[in-house]
Amino acid sequence: MTAFGTPLKRKEDPRLLRGEGRYVADLKLHGMTHAAVLRSQHAHAAIRGIDLDRLRSDPRVLDVLVGEDVAELPHILCIDAEETTRPFTQPLLAVGKVRYVGEPVAVVVVDGDRYDAEDALALFDVDYEPLPAVTDPEAATADGAPLLHDDTNVCDVLEYATGDTQAIDRAPHRLSRRFTTQRHAGTPLETRGCIADYDPRADQVTLWTSTQTPHGVKGSLAYHLGLRESSIRVVAPDVGGGFGSKLQIYPEEVLVTLLATRVRRPVKWIEDRWEHFVGTTHGRDQFHDIEVGYDDDGTIVGVRDHAVTDTGAYLARLTLVEPFIGVAMLRGPYRIPNFEARSTIVVTNKTPMNPFRGVGHIQAAQAMDGMLDLIARERGLDPAEVRRRNMLTPEELPLDIGVGNVLAGPVVYDSGDYPEALRRALELIDYDGFRAEQEEARAQGRYLGIGIGCYVEETALGPYETGTVRVEPSGQVVVLTGACSSGQGHQTVLAQIAADELGVSPDDVVVVYGDTDVVRDGVGTYASRTGPIAGTAVRNAGAAARRKVLKIAEHLLEASVDDLELRDGFAAVAGSPERKVSLAQVAQAVTAFGPLPPGIDTYGIDETDVFRPPTNAFPYGVHIATVEVDIETGVVTPLRLAVVSDAGRLINPLIVDGQYQGGVALGIGGALLEEIVYADDGQPANPNFMDYLLPSVDTMPEVLLEHMHTPTPHNPDGMKGCGEGGAIGPPAAVANAVSDALAPFGIVITRTPVTPQRVFALLVEAGVVGED
Amino acid sequence: MSTHRIAVTVNGLLREAEVPARLTLADFLRERLDLTAAHLGCEHGVCGACTVLVDGETARSCILLAVQVDGCEVKTLEGVADGGELHPVQQAFWEKHGMQCGFCTPGIVLSTLELLERHPRPTREQITESLGGHLCRCTGYVKIVEAIEEAARVLEGART
Repeated sequence: MTAFGTPLKRKEDPRLLRGEGRYVADLKLHGMTHAAVLRSQHAHAAIRGIDLDRLRSDPRVLDVLVGEDVAELPHILCIDAEETTRPFTQPLLAVGKVRYVGEPVAVVVVDGDRYDAEDALALFDVDYEPLPAVTDPEAATADGAPLLHDDTNVCDVLEYATGDTQAIDRAPHRLSRRFTTQRHAGTPLETRGCIADYDPRADQVTLWTSTQTPHGVKGSLAYHLGLRESSIRVVAPDVGGGFGSKLQIYPEEVLVTLLATRVRRPVKWIEDRWEHFVGTTHGRDQFHDIEVGYDDDGTIVGVRDHAVTDTGAYLARLTLVEPFIGVAMLRGPYRIPNFEARSTIVVTNKTPMNPFRGVGHIQAAQAMDGMLDLIARERGLDPAEVRRRNMLTPEELPLDIGVGNVLAGPVVYDSGDYPEALRRALELIDYDGFRAEQEEARAQGRYLGIGIGCYVEETALGPYETGTVRVEPSGQVVVLTGACSSGQGHQTVLAQIAADELGVSPDDVVVVYGDTDVVRDGVGTYASRTGPIAGTAVRNAGAAARRKVLKIAEHLLEASVDDLELRDGFAAVAGSPERKVSLAQVAQAVTAFGPLPPGIDTYGIDETDVFRPPTNAFPYGVHIATVEVDIETGVVTPLRLAVVSDAGRLINPLIVDGQYQGGVALGIGGALLEEIVYADDGQPANPNFMDYLLPSVDTMPEVLLEHMHTPTPHNPDGMKGCGEGGAIGPPAAVANAVSDALAPFGIVITRTPVTPQRVFALLVEAGVVGED
Repeated sequence: MSTHRIAVTVNGLLREAEVPARLTLADFLRERLDLTAAHLGCEHGVCGACTVLVDGETARSCILLAVQVDGCEVKTLEGVADGGELHPVQQAFWEKHGMQCGFCTPGIVLSTLELLERHPRPTREQITESLGGHLCRCTGYVKIVEAIEEAARVLEGART
């Protein structure tokens, strides 16, 4: 019986349930000061000057930084920029010009609390000259558009082509349509925040920050501030959700660190919710102009796509991922050898974008599955049947689909059975039964609909992750990793893997992460990578520790390694359970207090693996949603959502179900509720939880979940990563379900979120209801 | 800025303090008393992460001022477990994986205590109503609902 694959309760939870979480806002240091960030209230304006006289006359003010003070420091780095990408990067504080509402303009530190720091913001006098703003990516590329940085607002165009790109023009039938996915905010329940403290004894500054990537933050601090590695320690305490919004370093983290070294006291900054909406990276904002050529039976001949991503005012660290994935993964599980895509990245006067849970795949699924439904409608075929006819079969995998990028390498679908996932999902939702129900309901004037959303997902991104497994002299097993939890359950799942290697209970394994002085190297948690990448590093390190334990035990027990087994914290001779030594005895046999046993040449049991996957993994899934649409009000009620997913082998099915259910909620939010709305002048209209609606319990459909388990060949446990799949399918499935419900009126949903206002407008346009 | 003297019983202990009028209950608990289980998710009374019990009823501590609870009894998540033992509601959240990042959990546990006090055998609608005052970005609520139902079963069993 292995711990791998067992639905264990989480090790993390009892502490959190007692209120003993330690999130960054909970931390207090002696002599702590507070910082507040002055942010632009203008979407686009020249800064004529900043008068600090009133601010400086307040005796509580300890320090202040404005753009000129840090103008020489490097901008926020965009690490995957192509050679063709315009360098529209963000300075730590605006210099001469602001380009979005929320852009940091200055930061002040006060000898006082957070209230006092926020009071100090009223003492800045900034002289702005408002400039025309642009918030629409098409308007931003038109002649005479306000320019943000340079002579163009286009920061890059990525281009891909495979097969015979002219084939689409010769296809018997063609359809084209625009699908639009809205701009989301990340909105973990815990906002960002950090505390920096300079320790002169160690000549080291420590930054406690709510991040998914402490080692990335450390490297970035070194880069921005010109510090040596040993002078920086980054600690991620408990992190209250991330979803991509905490995967890069932000100006505030650099500035707070710098300020702590200047004022020689701890400096704390905690983002408020308005700041989160305007100052933390957004996601999605992308539309696709997609054209599909197909033949009489609905078989796709080729696809041509132009995606436009409105990436906001500046490049973020991984800005190009939404634009890349949006087209690279557009074809999902479908057989489309003839393919041509352009992906244009445009800057506008909005908050910058970075990857957000499910990055790019959501937009891809909306566009692609939206088109499959249109093909079905046009050919008079069942939507499920059109998918069946176009899906890649297991025999066609692995498949290089002919696209790739700098970071991720070529996209090669690894393994799986896409048609089987579709079959199971149809069965899970009782597709045929629902069709009958739908017909009955229509006869009564009720509009039910069913919609399918499919995806293949690029996950388990490298470049690498670290795992260390130690056996301490007490017999305690300790795991260290560079992955960093923001709530996923790393302590539990990584303990499960190490426990199996060393024959102990996961309860007896301590998992440590999130401190760059304790874990020397690492990458972090995003892109559904912890199971497959960190998990494999821990697996390999655990296996090395196991080999060493066995070798020592061989000596202690005078037995052959082939006869030994590790179980219940002991190394024992199989068949003679009384001949055993505890892990403590084994570990004590190799401390430097005594001579090493023969054949052992290093002290301690302390093994580290750096796992560098050969390439990415490709989980997939089929989501089917059922909805009811009230044609009097336009309200869409999601009824059920069936998810059949294949993320390979699973470490902890309980945690995996939680990942999918939570992902589905995020997807439902995207399908029906969430959208950052900007007015034409660039003012965000809903930067708060009253107006930006997150899904609550009463917006959730019943979630039906089934897993398939096709391993990926790219790591020994065959894990593909399960953090994001739940989020990808719902927008496409729900949008298609609404289109299906309203098919009698010829209505097609091509934009999310599918709000009552939008549905009602379509119903009015179709003449179904009057305007009032 | 004016300050006011308040006396509040928090988790059974009488706490007296001189507080500015503008100090929220959440910041009084977190910054003055170091009771940090009530989390600030929005600071405008929507997300429910800061929920505490004031005289036995749930309240958003981010939009109450400390001066408003003068003379009241306040209970935070720190006051729920009985010594080392998790309360059955806490235990149920653990058993059912009713949490991920844990940031919203303190408020939800306190709302569940109130719910099960009022409705020992809650209907799904009553659970939805209670939980509807909380935002969770991680779980999709599925396992939270299971945890609440499990807690109700266990508490009901303990009574009979």
